Amino acid sequence: MPVRVVESSTPSQDSGRESRTGRPPPPSCSLLSAGRAFSGTQNVSSLQKDEAWKVNVRIQGIDLDNGYLCGTMEALNVPLADTPVVTFWEGELVDGNNFTFFTRKWEATPEDDIRHWSKFPSFAPLLSQVEADGGKNMDLSNYPYIFMRWKEQYFVNVGIDCGLTIAGFYYVCFSCSDGSINGFYYDPNSSPFQKLELKCIPGGCSGYTFSSYQLL
Amino acid sequence: MPASAANNRPEDLTARLGVGAGAAQGEALLKALREVKNQIIGNKTKKLLYLHLGAVPKIVSVLAAAAASSSSNSGGISRGGDAAVIVQAAAAIGSFACGVEDGVRAVLDAGAVPHLTSILSHHDEKVVDAGARSLKMIFQSELAPKYDVLQEKNLNFILSLLDSDNENVTELAASIIAHSCETNEQQKALCDAGVLLRFVSLLGGSSNQKDGCLESIEAVIKNNPEVSSRFSCTGNGKALNALANLIQDRYPHTRLLACKCLIAVGHASPCYVEELQIKTKLVLVLVELLEEPGRVGNEAPFSLKTLIADDEELHKQALSVNAIEKLCSILQMSSVQARRLQGILLALAELCSKLEKCRCQLMSPQVLNLIVDALKHDCMDVRVAACDCIRNITRSLKNLSAGCLSSEAFIVRLVQLSHDPSTSVQIAALGALCNIVINCATRKSVLIKCGGVSQLVQLSKSMDSALRSKSVLALRNLMFLADITDKEFILKELTLCTLASLIYDSECSIQEQALALTSDLVDGCSQSVKHVFAEDSIILDAVMRQLQNASSIGVCIQGMFVLSNIAAGSESDKDTVMNYLVPPHTDSCIPSFTIKFLQSKDILLRVASLWCFVNLTDPASVGSSRRVARLQDAGIVLQLKSMLNDPCLDCKLRVRMILEQCMELETAQA
Repeated sequence: MPVRVVESSTPSQDSGRESRTGRPPPPSCSLLSAGRAFSGTQNVSSLQKDEAWKVNVRIQGIDLDNGYLCGTMEALNVPLADTPVVTFWEGELVDGNNFTFFTRKWEATPEDDIRHWSKFPSFAPLLSQVEADGGKNMDLSNYPYIFMRWKEQYFVNVGIDCGLTIAGFYYVCFSCSDGSINGFYYDPNSSPFQKLELKCIPGGCSGYTFSSYQLL
Repeated sequence: MPASAANNRPEDLTARLGVGAGAAQGEALLKALREVKNQIIGNKTKKLLYLHLGAVPKIVSVLAAAAASSSSNSGGISRGGDAAVIVQAAAAIGSFACGVEDGVRAVLDAGAVPHLTSILSHHDEKVVDAGARSLKMIFQSELAPKYDVLQEKNLNFILSLLDSDNENVTELAASIIAHSCETNEQQKALCDAGVLLRFVSLLGGSSNQKDGCLESIEAVIKNNPEVSSRFSCTGNGKALNALANLIQDRYPHTRLLACKCLIAVGHASPCYVEELQIKTKLVLVLVELLEEPGRVGNEAPFSLKTLIADDEELHKQALSVNAIEKLCSILQMSSVQARRLQGILLALAELCSKLEKCRCQLMSPQVLNLIVDALKHDCMDVRVAACDCIRNITRSLKNLSAGCLSSEAFIVRLVQLSHDPSTSVQIAALGALCNIVINCATRKSVLIKCGGVSQLVQLSKSMDSALRSKSVLALRNLMFLADITDKEFILKELTLCTLASLIYDSECSIQEQALALTSDLVDGCSQSVKHVFAEDSIILDAVMRQLQNASSIGVCIQGMFVLSNIAAGSESDKDTVMNYLVPPHTDSCIPSFTIKFLQSKDILLRVASLWCFVNLTDPASVGSSRRVARLQDAGIVLQLKSMLNDPCLDCKLRVRMILEQCMELETAQA
């Protein structure tokens, strides 16, 4: 979700991708699949005032082998925007194979990483090993939470001169049990620890529905 | 002089050719032959004119007569005269066969090959040269007869040519092999006869000889691991070293042919060309050759495509040496030949098949416009290649979501191509459409407005299973997250009857796509679910029959997702699904598939089945308690309890979810 521009920043182009080790892909969770929608809020409070924007997210695609997923994020009541603002984001699945807990780009130091991941209670059991090596040798395939980074890439329905920025990125924790998502937006130039809270939308009138497509 | 000019008219010259009355003799015949030969060299119009005048059979008769006379005469002057006539006749025949298919046909129909072959044993080296050159031109054509090397006399003939000291004759042998060697047995027979060794020894010869040998080596080793291994081991790797040196030869054509040989070795026996270093070198050489004019530049993109096929690492190598920029710059040249355009588009398609970075490089409007222009090309192969290129570019969800390739003209063109007279073009166009319709309401609506849906529906009824499969997938992707109006429109065009027949299709993959399409139709809280119950539940019956038949895992998975989506609906929808899964009053007759699917080794089938039970036991639904009781009676709850420690986390979590819901319902009742 975009936040208001405070100061322009140029993200580093260094890749956080790790070399392949042949470890199995992270748990595939049927609630984290293409087409699934999530709804909730992002707290954008500052010292001056409390504020939360309504947020809708939809997963557009997921590729476990490459630790990749992508989707759209819609912010509904953005004060400076006339319409809901939609952004397209790409995500890295922390799988100890394609990506580790250390970001190594987007102006995030390992200390920033640990500080943000530690905000998720489900991260506590992993902390010591992550501090040692970023979780490079960690088997997360049976862990009931999926950790990700979501980085917005572009505005879908407004121009880049809309007065909003997508310079930062999200540390995200997905619960495989109920599909709930918690996240923290990180941008050195924005308010720290803006919290994203999303619930999985079941889809049906009285239950969970699934849709799918196939790329050729 | 007017008289002389009249004598050189094609009609007059043709009249003077041949044997018998009216034909020229001696010096006059020689002069006529030479004149015809000079007129037709490099002149297609003249060749066609002489063909029309029937010159070829006459020249072949002259050749036959002179060859016969030459072999029976021993006199010095006559022999010399015959030899000169043979040389000119052979040269003229070779020229007719060069570059004009009708010419080759005329030469073959006139029976030139046996006469030309007979002069290869002539004592005059000039005659042998002329015969060999002429035959070489004939064997460059696909129309030329094939020599079956499994027949001993043919093999011996080729070996005798190969043993010659005359370069034109060894080049002819190479041409015949390159043209005739097609089967594994033929490759092995040639290898057993030692032709590969001989070719390697000839690689140090003239440029033409090198090229001929390289073409033949490729033909003999292609797709034959055994022969390729034997070749690679020749002289302790001497053969491979020779090829590796030749990829740096001064002549571009030789470099290309050496690359093709190494690619053929790499594919047939990967262990011999597995080092990335040599592959990187090949990428580099081929990318350089892209810019060569003529045949080399036309063929280089095909070789590049073959080399890097399905290899992400080599895609990266090609990207690092600016392959995409070079391919795009050639694409932007004016009047690119069809063959070259096809190769460039196929190479670009390959490069965009895996790496997002490659796709991004093609996102400039100029390049996209050129690819779209290629969709309208007269040549069918170019249209197919352009469709493949678009299909692979649109594997990028990032580009698709950004609205790239959303222009109306572009989608309309692809829909038009799905009507193309060529099935290959239709299939390729459908492949591109399948990807394009995902994730973008604008593109979906353009496709719907331009009549794309009715065309896809028509093709879904095709007798050709590839067309059926691609069109159903395109409809499925179109249905994915479509709004209710579009869903209703698609279904109206498709009709329930056609959808049911697709669920019953003879091909499992099409059944699977049709079921996935049904899932996408029923997905979400919409009115669409009513359609599965319409017309005496024709769709639901089809789904259930396929589940009971359990023909393939994929079909079962998609079928269970359909049931699961229906079970996420109203109370009566849930009860309908429940009655199918656990028929009332017949506890012992649980359809075997219900428990079987829960016990399946396939994770996704277990997951799909479990979601169905999650929805049937939703605590917010009034009838869930009743359904839970039936699930207990039918032994399904017991089966679920046995899955509490399922090795798949997703399954384990869904089992817990169901059992917690069951417990919640029991507690609420107590």
